[in-house]
Amino acid sequence: MLWSLLALFVVYPLSAMFGQAFLVDGRPSLGPLLSALGQPNHRAALANSLVLGTLVGIVGTTIGFLFAFTATRCNLPDRWVRLLDAATLLPLISPPFTTSIAFVFSFGPRGLITYELLGIKGTNVYGLASTLAAEVLTYFPIAYLALRPVLAAIGGNIEEMAFSLGSSRWRVFRTVTLPLAVPGLANAFLLLFAASLADFATPLILAGSRFPVLPTEAYLQITGLFDLKGGAVLSFLLLVPAAIVFLLQRHWVGRGHFVTVTGKAGPQSALDGVSRGARCLLVALCATVALSILYLYALLLYASVVVAFGANHALTLKHYVVIFTEGWKAIKDTLIIAFLGMPVGGLFGVLVGYLVARGEFRGRQAMELVSMANYALPGTIVGIAYLIAFNDPPIALTGGALIIVACYVFRYSPTGVRTTVALLKQIDRGIEEASRSLGAGSFTTFRRVTLPLVLPAFFAGLGVVFIRSMTAISATIFLVSIDWILITVRILENMTELSLGPAAAFSVFVIAVVMLVTTAIGALLRRLPGPPGIATVAGYGGG
Amino acid sequence: MAANPVSIRLVGISARFDHRVKGEVAAVDDVSLEVAPGELLTLLGPSGCGKTTTLRMIAGFQRPSAGRILIGDHDVTEVLSNDRNIGFVFQNYALFPHLGIFENVAYGLRVRRMDEAAIRRVVGDVLELVGLKGYERQMPHQLSGGEQQRVALARAIVIKPRVLLFDEPLSNLDAKLRVQMRGEIQRLQRDVGITTVYVTHDQEEAMAISDRIAVMSKGVIAQLGRAEDLYSRPASEFVARFIGRANLLRTTVLARDGARLTLGMAGQRYVVDAPESGPPVGAVAHAVIRPETILIGPADAVGAIPGRVVTRTYLGEKTEYTVTVGADTLQIVRIGAAETERFEPGAAVGIRLPAGRLHLLPEVGT
Ligand SMILES: Nc1ncnc2c1ncn2[C@@H]1O[C@H](COP(=O)(O)OP(=O)(O)OP(=O)(O)O)[C@@H](O)[C@H]1O
Ligand SMILES: [Mg+2]
Repeated sequence: MLWSLLALFVVYPLSAMFGQAFLVDGRPSLGPLLSALGQPNHRAALANSLVLGTLVGIVGTTIGFLFAFTATRCNLPDRWVRLLDAATLLPLISPPFTTSIAFVFSFGPRGLITYELLGIKGTNVYGLASTLAAEVLTYFPIAYLALRPVLAAIGGNIEEMAFSLGSSRWRVFRTVTLPLAVPGLANAFLLLFAASLADFATPLILAGSRFPVLPTEAYLQITGLFDLKGGAVLSFLLLVPAAIVFLLQRHWVGRGHFVTVTGKAGPQSALDGVSRGARCLLVALCATVALSILYLYALLLYASVVVAFGANHALTLKHYVVIFTEGWKAIKDTLIIAFLGMPVGGLFGVLVGYLVARGEFRGRQAMELVSMANYALPGTIVGIAYLIAFNDPPIALTGGALIIVACYVFRYSPTGVRTTVALLKQIDRGIEEASRSLGAGSFTTFRRVTLPLVLPAFFAGLGVVFIRSMTAISATIFLVSIDWILITVRILENMTELSLGPAAAFSVFVIAVVMLVTTAIGALLRRLPGPPGIATVAGYGGG
Repeated sequence: MAANPVSIRLVGISARFDHRVKGEVAAVDDVSLEVAPGELLTLLGPSGCGKTTTLRMIAGFQRPSAGRILIGDHDVTEVLSNDRNIGFVFQNYALFPHLGIFENVAYGLRVRRMDEAAIRRVVGDVLELVGLKGYERQMPHQLSGGEQQRVALARAIVIKPRVLLFDEPLSNLDAKLRVQMRGEIQRLQRDVGITTVYVTHDQEEAMAISDRIAVMSKGVIAQLGRAEDLYSRPASEFVARFIGRANLLRTTVLARDGARLTLGMAGQRYVVDAPESGPPVGAVAHAVIRPETILIGPADAVGAIPGRVVTRTYLGEKTEYTVTVGADTLQIVRIGAAETERFEPGAAVGIRLPAGRLHLLPEVGT
């Protein structure tokens, strides 16, 4: 049953896409691929994507490391750490292009900084630099979340040991901390590289025509030229590096190269890990980054309540009136889809996770891998694959809500799968056996013991599906129709029509809803009975 | 409590696993065993010898790859563990972390759809029995290890199982608590009279608690018997060394007289009980003797074997020596010896092996 669902919504679309890309008149052919590679535009897009990914990986990992190091080593007061966390959480839960929109407000032709402050006219915000900056600000929190536990684990004893041997702080950092963090850094780099490679919305808004990247090229190919085959081929070009990165990262984490360090995240060292000067510098750097994020979001909020940003700064609520009248359909559709997908995705994640962790059947690993595929692949690929697979009979689903819900469920439930697997690995099998020995059958055991224990995973998975249903765009932009439209797609339309006010208002609305729901789920999770030790590892990352 | 204790019979059970490197390995290999009704039998053995696997097969958590399991007169080999009516106490307690103490203990009763009033009464009684009255509303993680272990015990016995199974229930507790808890488990088991299989790798615990002990080695039972039998008449060098400390001596068979053998060692003669198929006259035979039964005295004592002290360790209630005798090195323990008795390293001494304390091993090896 689960297998057939996975086959239908993961395997089938991908193979349909491959078919589209590599079959000419029913025969396998490399022709389309070669002709795509022959076009300078497409070659540039490929090169640009790789360059952008690498740069985002390097810069984002650096900033993420800076944040993680500051949070774990500077003995900051709790309040400060929470502030850092809040600033990094914002980009994770916003629609992927909020940063880009705010960038336009800030640095665009009529931007706050470029026009108002510096008085530069006719600036061009579009291109590599701004895309890079926006993506870094959007995705570095992933690196921060990945690196923080690594640095926390390295801390304490090992560093104290090195200090006690007479090393200076800088020397300890250079010879102990940094080398031990290398696997973690590599992992963070790969995560960011993948995120940037897959990012669709940021380049669509900021890259401009002089800097094409693969996802936007594929999108234009399909929506502009109605060339499904070309889109499929470009998707394949995108898939290759994405798959390589995914496998590399899996290999790295799976082989346990990862937190091989002491493992004991003991109390923070009583010694200051850094000197006063370095500490000031670190805190200042982090504060700058955090403040720029907050500044961008404040700008977004401001733009949503003025008549016309850059021209008329009188306060008004008219943009909100617009989104709740003209935009109401998008809001309604998005909420329906999100609330439909939420429980389904949560349940699906827990079920697959349970089977992967506890099931005793052949192909468990294959099931895990397949369930991860849609998550690991860039959304553009998934969207195009769904479009190709479900556009025509035998299974014509495009245009409906079902296809969008299915896309979200299969794309974003892997968080639930992974959390469930992680939780079940912490939960001793003996607990379920104890239930069996006390006379409970396998169903009763699942219902009364296993299910309550994986409830945190259920809610985490459900939360992620909800957040992504509200904010994602890269895959579903190919699946919307007149009947079912999404807020994110409307925002994009508003941006291209230069009605910035409603775009800002929509974004603020989405962020508010997402925050509300995440807070609610967080509160619920805290109220769940059970030992505090079973922590939730909700991965909010990914576009 | 249990009206009619039942027996447990294992008939030639095996558990085979696919091992990545070694291919198929038998964790338990053709084991047969009968646990008498109401008895507490311990499976004792080193790590990896198959104790847990045996216990899990009795519990029904794992299917034997061959053989049958009978509880009472019922063949339960194909019966699911939830229908076997067993109580299982896990090494790491395996309490339900999301349920309070009361609900943990009540779990099995709720599954059996007992009515609420009865559940309150029975759970109250059993919590009283294990000394945890007043803990009903606590969560498992708020309890100490010993308390958690008692909850696990209460949860297992409250359903009045026909069989109680323990897998190293005390190994997570500190030494003192271990001694106290094993006393409590024993008392409880006697009181309720449930047939019990207890797994441990601690020989002292096994001896303290069991009616009989099955010593396991590499998936088979090396010897089964009361603690006294295992200690004074080990069937193999493995058992001799695993239970307590043992000196292994090389002797020569000098004469045979029905059920008695005369062994020669270092010019002395010893008469011992012979095993059924004893070694022929003239053959080399191995005998064991426990360190605390060897006598040690001055070198010029009449009839003593001459030896030389290598080390002496004073431990308060006892003193331990190692003494070389010819090519052999013997461990000797003197308990409650006079304080004036001192044989310093290097001193020549005379030792004596009381004939009745020498035990001939049926075979050497395992
Ligand atoms: N599910 C399994 N798959 C493969 N091998 C197993 C499995 N369970 C047990 N074994 C192997 O069977 C052997 C016996 O294991 P068992 O757990 O019964 O040992 P034990 O006597 O309980 O040891 P310990 O005192 O360490 O708990 C071991 O070598 C173990 O590796
Ligand atoms: Mg064991």
